[in-house]
Amino acid sequence: MNRRTTFATLLGKRRKLPKSRQTAAFVPASSGLDPYTGSWEFEQAAHLLRRASFGPTYQDIKDAVSMGMDQAVSALLADQPMPDPPVNYAFSDDPYVPVGETWIDAPYDPNINLVPYRRASLLSWTLDQIRMEGMSLREKMTLFWHNHFATEMNVVNDPKFIYRYYSLLRENALGNFRELTKKITIDPTMLRYLNGNQNTVGSPNENYARELLELFTVGKGDLIAPGDYSNYTESDIAAIARVLTGWRVAGYRTFNPNVSVASFFNPNLHDTGTKQLSYHFNNAVITNAGEQEYEILIDILFQQDQPARYIARKLYRWFVYYVIDDTVETNVIEPLAQLIVANDYEMKPALEALLKSQHFYDMAYIGPMIKNPIDFAVGLFKIFEVEIPSALQAHYVSLLPIVDFLNLLQMALFNPPSVAGWPAYYQEPSFYRIWTNSVTLPLRREATDLLSTTGYGQGDTPIRIDVLAFVATLDNPLDPNALIDEMASILFPQPITEYQHDYLKSVLLPGLPDYEWNDEYGAYLADPNNEDLANAVESKLRNLLSAMLAMPEFYLS
Amino acid sequence: MLTIYPEDIMKRRNFLKSASALAGVPLLLRGVGVSPFGKSSLLRFLNPDSDRVLVLIQLNGGNDGLNMVLPMDQYDKLSVLRSNILLPESAVLSLTEELALHPVMTGVKSMYDDGRLTLLQNVGYPNQNRSHFRSTDIWTSASPADEYWNTGWLGRYLTENHPDFPEGYPNSEYPDPLAITMGSIVSQTCQGIAANYSLALNDPFSLSLISVGAEDEVPDTPYGWELTFLRQAIAQTNAYSDVIFQAAESGNNLATYPENNRLAEQLRNVALLISGGLQTKIYVVSLGGFDTHANQVDANDFTAGSHADLLRMLSDAMAAFQQDLAMLGVEERVVGMTFSEFGRQIASNNSLGTDHGTAAPLFVFGSCINPGIVGDNPQIPDPQDIEPQAGVPMQYDFRNVYGSILMDWFEVDEEVVKQLLYDEFQYLPILNPCTPTASAEPSMPDAIELKAFPNPFRSSTQIAFSCEASQYVRLSVFDLRGQELEVLINKTLSAGEHVYSYSPDGLPAGTYAVRLQLGNGQAATRLVNKL
Repeated sequence: MNRRTTFATLLGKRRKLPKSRQTAAFVPASSGLDPYTGSWEFEQAAHLLRRASFGPTYQDIKDAVSMGMDQAVSALLADQPMPDPPVNYAFSDDPYVPVGETWIDAPYDPNINLVPYRRASLLSWTLDQIRMEGMSLREKMTLFWHNHFATEMNVVNDPKFIYRYYSLLRENALGNFRELTKKITIDPTMLRYLNGNQNTVGSPNENYARELLELFTVGKGDLIAPGDYSNYTESDIAAIARVLTGWRVAGYRTFNPNVSVASFFNPNLHDTGTKQLSYHFNNAVITNAGEQEYEILIDILFQQDQPARYIARKLYRWFVYYVIDDTVETNVIEPLAQLIVANDYEMKPALEALLKSQHFYDMAYIGPMIKNPIDFAVGLFKIFEVEIPSALQAHYVSLLPIVDFLNLLQMALFNPPSVAGWPAYYQEPSFYRIWTNSVTLPLRREATDLLSTTGYGQGDTPIRIDVLAFVATLDNPLDPNALIDEMASILFPQPITEYQHDYLKSVLLPGLPDYEWNDEYGAYLADPNNEDLANAVESKLRNLLSAMLAMPEFYLS
Repeated sequence: MLTIYPEDIMKRRNFLKSASALAGVPLLLRGVGVSPFGKSSLLRFLNPDSDRVLVLIQLNGGNDGLNMVLPMDQYDKLSVLRSNILLPESAVLSLTEELALHPVMTGVKSMYDDGRLTLLQNVGYPNQNRSHFRSTDIWTSASPADEYWNTGWLGRYLTENHPDFPEGYPNSEYPDPLAITMGSIVSQTCQGIAANYSLALNDPFSLSLISVGAEDEVPDTPYGWELTFLRQAIAQTNAYSDVIFQAAESGNNLATYPENNRLAEQLRNVALLISGGLQTKIYVVSLGGFDTHANQVDANDFTAGSHADLLRMLSDAMAAFQQDLAMLGVEERVVGMTFSEFGRQIASNNSLGTDHGTAAPLFVFGSCINPGIVGDNPQIPDPQDIEPQAGVPMQYDFRNVYGSILMDWFEVDEEVVKQLLYDEFQYLPILNPCTPTASAEPSMPDAIELKAFPNPFRSSTQIAFSCEASQYVRLSVFDLRGQELEVLINKTLSAGEHVYSYSPDGLPAGTYAVRLQLGNGQAATRLVNKL
């Protein structure tokens, strides 16, 4: 294809819109955390599932409509059993783990590098947990906590550690924020990642203490006095580093079959002196409590409401939108924070209130979230129920291209760019917009083109969207107008315009009258085993699907 | 918390333009005083046709300046405070009798020897913030430490000539990206009010074309805003992909770049695009990994380890890039600058690493510079007096480096620089704009004598300095965490000797820094309060 011709054609096609055609000016929503009482239709149910899970199917959305909001949210919040662990899917040279068995407790070997296959296994398996998940909030909240209590596998390069860390987040995904903070503080991965394992009496390492305050609990405010960040001071960091001295990690990339991944407390390395916090924490004094001292500390940090406010804002940016103005602060964040405090930092009541709130279903917030790469990529597999091979090796391998894709799209799983998590959730003023630019937009397009046309994979059957099966789930695929509108309702957060509808119809039926679709698809339905008929409608549908998935509307949730 | 919707900001921009035409008073945007752009556009003295290029090298994580550039006159104290990491005296590369580089930085050393390098010592800002994220925001936005600005310093500069960007860009006059960030995320330095001015670029040969589908009107709601943003991003990618591809195809690299060096890879592409005729003025490249809390050196060899690896990458990449530019004949069009969000603490920790600190040295490089060393060696406190968390006291405000580059390289008027950065901006003659019309040979200000006696002191000390002419003077006291505690003098003084009698009230015992700004010069000295 000639680059320059395409370039000119594309630019020529752009339609400049007169300002006068834009609709009335937006008034920021004044809605708050009160329960939503409006109509419960496809649009609301789809919005709930897109935000609370990854890529709902048409049937999922229809189920949520008939369940009603209360029941749908209850289903999302229901506790789920922990999944079976990842396994050795292909590496026959692991002396400890036969193919088909899990490696999560097995040692490494001095002569054979077992890290790469275990890392690939963990990544593929984790994406599969998202791909397989039904109506549940758990994986989305697990990823939320990963973004919150961020660590990097590039730094803690032991899949056994990362498995344990991510399992901790999954077990506590819908649990208690304060208790999770305690557990993560002595989690082996976190201890290694932020040098807690090198924090020693007489020579404190402040790395974890600083992030515990700045990023994990009370959050950083304005600098209001020298060394005073509104919610804590530099001297708090120094004191907390001392509180947390003495923790060590065992089992990092160990060859010893008798040593497991663990953290432990060494009282000889602990600072037994008295530590005093600042006025932000009521000048609390922490006397030596050895192994329990970190729990006492975290209880003190959570005695004020600041961690609730801080986490409420992060939930808002994860589930609703990135702009938090005074109205949102007053009507949503503050009541949400109070709900968290009133429930002793249990997260479920707050999540329930948010997902059932007027504010959540406000039209202004349906659609403005640019999907993150995981939501985008795994979502494609879920929406279209893309089949992957069931044989062990092929199953794991088939998801590895998504791992690579996420790296390219700047959302490498287990490798956020820093301890602050992904910038899309904190970096002003761009926020979600950071996901998309001249590098990542073409990659999104390549991915949707691949899945909607040729597919990928090495077997006889490429991994791709089965467009005929998908269209068969629609209510009225014989009518090209209904077909397009139904697909748009599944794929896009808000209805498309008549102009866009006509454009898509011209992709499906270039220059042909509507009844031609009815004839062709009708002929195929009457004789579905006729390959010629199937191929004819399939290629048309693939064109349509490819065009729809390339529209920026599909990048929005 | 006051937050403004992104699209409101665009509207406000227009409001600012018209409002400032009526009154030249600073307006409040996001609770922050900003200069009205309309006013500055009347004053601006920009040269938009200049073909000069600025390359920023961001060192993410907080670079340990004391392990990169060693004040050898302080070596004895450092050998106590950094006993588990300090480079052996015999290994370092000497620049002067009192200053040396890390031994892996042979490339930078040769640039220094060739007059291609300016080393600025002790660059930072008052009231140092030690959060990576906040301090990176401060360095990229050039805001004061206690204010939150949402625009980048280069974004504001570009707004001067391109206030409507991205609307209408690219166009026949500006077909090329105004700025490019090498990588997959655009740099905050180029964040404008309405959009980021830089294009993210990984591989100049493979920016592929993407479709926008059918565009139609959008509602004025968050949904409409984000959709519009995506459509614009797609359209611009398509438009710029063509010019970048052309430049990459016709460009060239003549020097040999080091292998397995992720910074060199980015700089090689920058040289390629410059030589290919791309008229982009600003490139931002980056190298991460400088947050060396642990194992920054090898336990058995302090000249090796993760920090040495990073410094080698930096040095090798800079040297190859400079050589390439020279061989391509574009050396006089390009200057580069390194920066990092902070230096690290003077004392090392027990993990063979260093924790977040304050000021640090930075490099400005190219052929159109005033080469040499600017600033004094940091004064390391006596080991028995060192305060917890002490960092290197700041001598130069980074905003003075930025502004001086804007003035000399992009010919921005000093008044505009003050509006873009801060009112107290001080010019530093770092660059030497290589053009025949350049004015008289600029020279660095003479060394400033700043003395305090007695020092250490109890209750009172005399701070002495002299003014060669009637000069603006700012004399202030910092603690070693980088907080500006007290401003003693902030006015114009007459020529001659001056002695300030300093009797601090309630200043705890400890080590402090007294910093003097005198005209264009700065000096800092250590002050020990014994009470």
